[in-house]
Amino acid sequence: MVAGINPRALLRHETILAILGIGVVAVLAFQSDRFFTVENLLNQGRLMTEVGLVALAMTFVIATGGIDLSVGSIVGLTAILTGVFWQNLGLPLPLAIVGAVAVGTFGGFVNGLIITRFKVPPLIATLATLALYRGLAEGISQARSVRGYPDWFYVLGQGSVGGIPTQLWILAAAAIVAAVILGLTIWGRTVYAIGSNEVAARFSGLSIDGCKLAVYTASGFAAALAGVIFVSRVSTTRSDMGTGLELDAITAVVLGGTSIFGGRGTIIGTAIGLCLIQALKNGLSLAGVKGDGTIMLIGAVLILAILASNIFDRGGNR
Amino acid sequence: MSAAVQAQAARRPVLEMRHISKTFGAIRALQDVSLTVHAGELHALMGENGAGKSTLMKVLSGAYRPDAGGEILIDGVPAATGDPIKARAAGIAVIYQELSLAPNLTVAQNVFLGNEPRRLGIVDREQCNRRAGEIIARLGVSFSARALVSSLSLGERQLVEIARALSTNARIIVMDEPTTSLTSRETDSLFEVIATLKAQGIAIIYISHRMEEVYQLADRVSVLRDSGYVGTLARADLNASRLVAMMVGRDLSAFYKKDHRAPDSARAVALSVRGMSDGRLLTNCSFDLHKGEVLALAGLVGSGRTELARLIFGADRRSAGTMELEGKPVTIGSPREALDAGIAYLTEDRKELGLFLDMSISDNISMGVLARDARAGGLRDFTAAERRAAKAIADLSIRTRSAQANAGSLSGGNQQKVLLARLLETEPKVVILDEPTRGVDVGAKSEIYRLIDNLANKGIAILMISSELPEVIGVADRVLVMRDGAIAGEVTASEGEPLRQEAIMELATGAAQK
Repeated sequence: MVAGINPRALLRHETILAILGIGVVAVLAFQSDRFFTVENLLNQGRLMTEVGLVALAMTFVIATGGIDLSVGSIVGLTAILTGVFWQNLGLPLPLAIVGAVAVGTFGGFVNGLIITRFKVPPLIATLATLALYRGLAEGISQARSVRGYPDWFYVLGQGSVGGIPTQLWILAAAAIVAAVILGLTIWGRTVYAIGSNEVAARFSGLSIDGCKLAVYTASGFAAALAGVIFVSRVSTTRSDMGTGLELDAITAVVLGGTSIFGGRGTIIGTAIGLCLIQALKNGLSLAGVKGDGTIMLIGAVLILAILASNIFDRGGNR
Repeated sequence: MSAAVQAQAARRPVLEMRHISKTFGAIRALQDVSLTVHAGELHALMGENGAGKSTLMKVLSGAYRPDAGGEILIDGVPAATGDPIKARAAGIAVIYQELSLAPNLTVAQNVFLGNEPRRLGIVDREQCNRRAGEIIARLGVSFSARALVSSLSLGERQLVEIARALSTNARIIVMDEPTTSLTSRETDSLFEVIATLKAQGIAIIYISHRMEEVYQLADRVSVLRDSGYVGTLARADLNASRLVAMMVGRDLSAFYKKDHRAPDSARAVALSVRGMSDGRLLTNCSFDLHKGEVLALAGLVGSGRTELARLIFGADRRSAGTMELEGKPVTIGSPREALDAGIAYLTEDRKELGLFLDMSISDNISMGVLARDARAGGLRDFTAAERRAAKAIADLSIRTRSAQANAGSLSGGNQQKVLLARLLETEPKVVILDEPTRGVDVGAKSEIYRLIDNLANKGIAILMISSELPEVIGVADRVLVMRDGAIAGEVTASEGEPLRQEAIMELATGAAQK
């Protein structure tokens, strides 16, 4: 049995998306001979890892009917703290990384706490922490950047293992873990139940607050991990890192078929959505399309994919 | 036929609905129903829940388009169907049970909502207030057009709805159970308004379950049953047994099932509730529920029945009160704790509070016992869930093509059975059913009654909240009646004497005190 709420209806969206993705890749491959090469594709995988990690956790958040806008700021905060802990506090780099990731994860936990304890709508709560965490990052960094990390650290963002970029292994592992949790465990089913009908979930005896707290904490952790990988990939630390990353992640999740109202969505959908966006971005720029044209096209694809799946879905159960 | 009725029949009808049928997929909600209403007439529409009254009115208001062959004539002229805006322009206004007012706007703003008088494209507030004031004056009420709707009582809000209907020059006003949540004084003033409207030549279609209201108000009564038209009685021909026979059309004794042995006082107490209060509505509610007993909780809407059920289930916080389950004190602070202790609750609003509409039937059934399906690492045992669903579908005869179909694709009765299946999976000792047959068709109703009877036979204690008195009398062993947040009294069946409907109504309305 396929993981998901209603395998037939859900796979339908993902099938449409996959076909669309293959079509896009084919067209782009004809447009530029530099696009469809192993080297380029692996490099694109490298580039999409940060958004990818965030999008995986964001799938859970959106499936509960919530949203997390603060992830981009958590990426920036973690990046800054990695540098500051290592350079200014003189901690060993591994310890600095662990510390920074812990703070980023705590940032997610705070989001969850605000949402569950004080019943603040997720949109408002994370909009506030988006500003708060970015402000913290900028305050701590004082507009200085940190460079000169030891070479072993760059393996994470710039190196390869077995011919595949290091961080792509991490992304793949995270995707598998996320897919198993969402599709095959009772916690995944709890996530869907909350997004589908929160009151009914409470009346069924499910732990709503615990689940949400876990989901937002995981979102913070994923963003923190993405922050460290970001630093390693670009060799430097700046406070504006990850700005706007939340929107890329949300786009991938929604394109992947997760309902913004919660209750529906799969990791495989998010993964396809992610690849499709990255392929469009890269392929179009190689084909000579300007950046603003690319953004417009991604917007159009998003609307088309949702429309298509709505039209086909009408023939299904709902 | 009396002279008055003849005179009325000679008058030209303001509304004729002819041969209206409506199907939703395979479900036939209306079958060849015709209805004629005259100007200045109050035409009562009666029938059991699910008989098709609401569907017929939705066809009239344009919310639904009738199947081919049906037509609606207004003043003898065929009117557009399936278009709410045209229906409103033709003079049809519907006042639904759930009022549709914006509480933070004034009376005048609500009356003209979406239809504001304008000057130079800008809402003319002066004119708005003045005209609303005129309409309200026609109704002879006391509040101001500038009052906020949130400051009005439910009865006054109803009058605002009527004023809104009048502002669009409605000539046919449909009222769907308008008195359900009104106090008796509010009801009286509503009736006065109705008389005023009739004198102004406005036709009123009045949906009600309450016989006495229909006797008091109706010029004619039409009855629907099982989606079809049964007949129309003129005022002179009204009599209770005839109306009931038309509405029910079948032998009630076979419909309800009460095979389980009614418990005597010697039977063990399953749930004992003492001094339950919530600091708002409920005050000091105490009762005992015995094993194998079906105890009905009756009372008017707003008397606190659902609130009490929610306190027992731990869904709301209580300010005082204790409970004992099978003789042992229990404290219940959340639905999870209630389920673990063996108390299960079927909510009154299955779509809003109960079902996961876009999840599968199988998931819906297993949701109360999700943790039971956890294997190592939290992996879910899907086969166990499938087995459970297959068994429930067979046991409760849930009609679906697959356990993987969405719960939203089921009919009301089958959705209710899915919720009952979820509840039974938790292996409860005490089951609270809140309006278990609301919005459920006749066939599923009798299946649910049979299920309740079976549960009682197994020794499960059942607390059933119901607003339908025939159901209360047909199913329950004993009745607790609530009024204004307190338990007003108890009605029991004595030797050979069945439960008396009048006794319940007297307690519910407070008439017994006088």
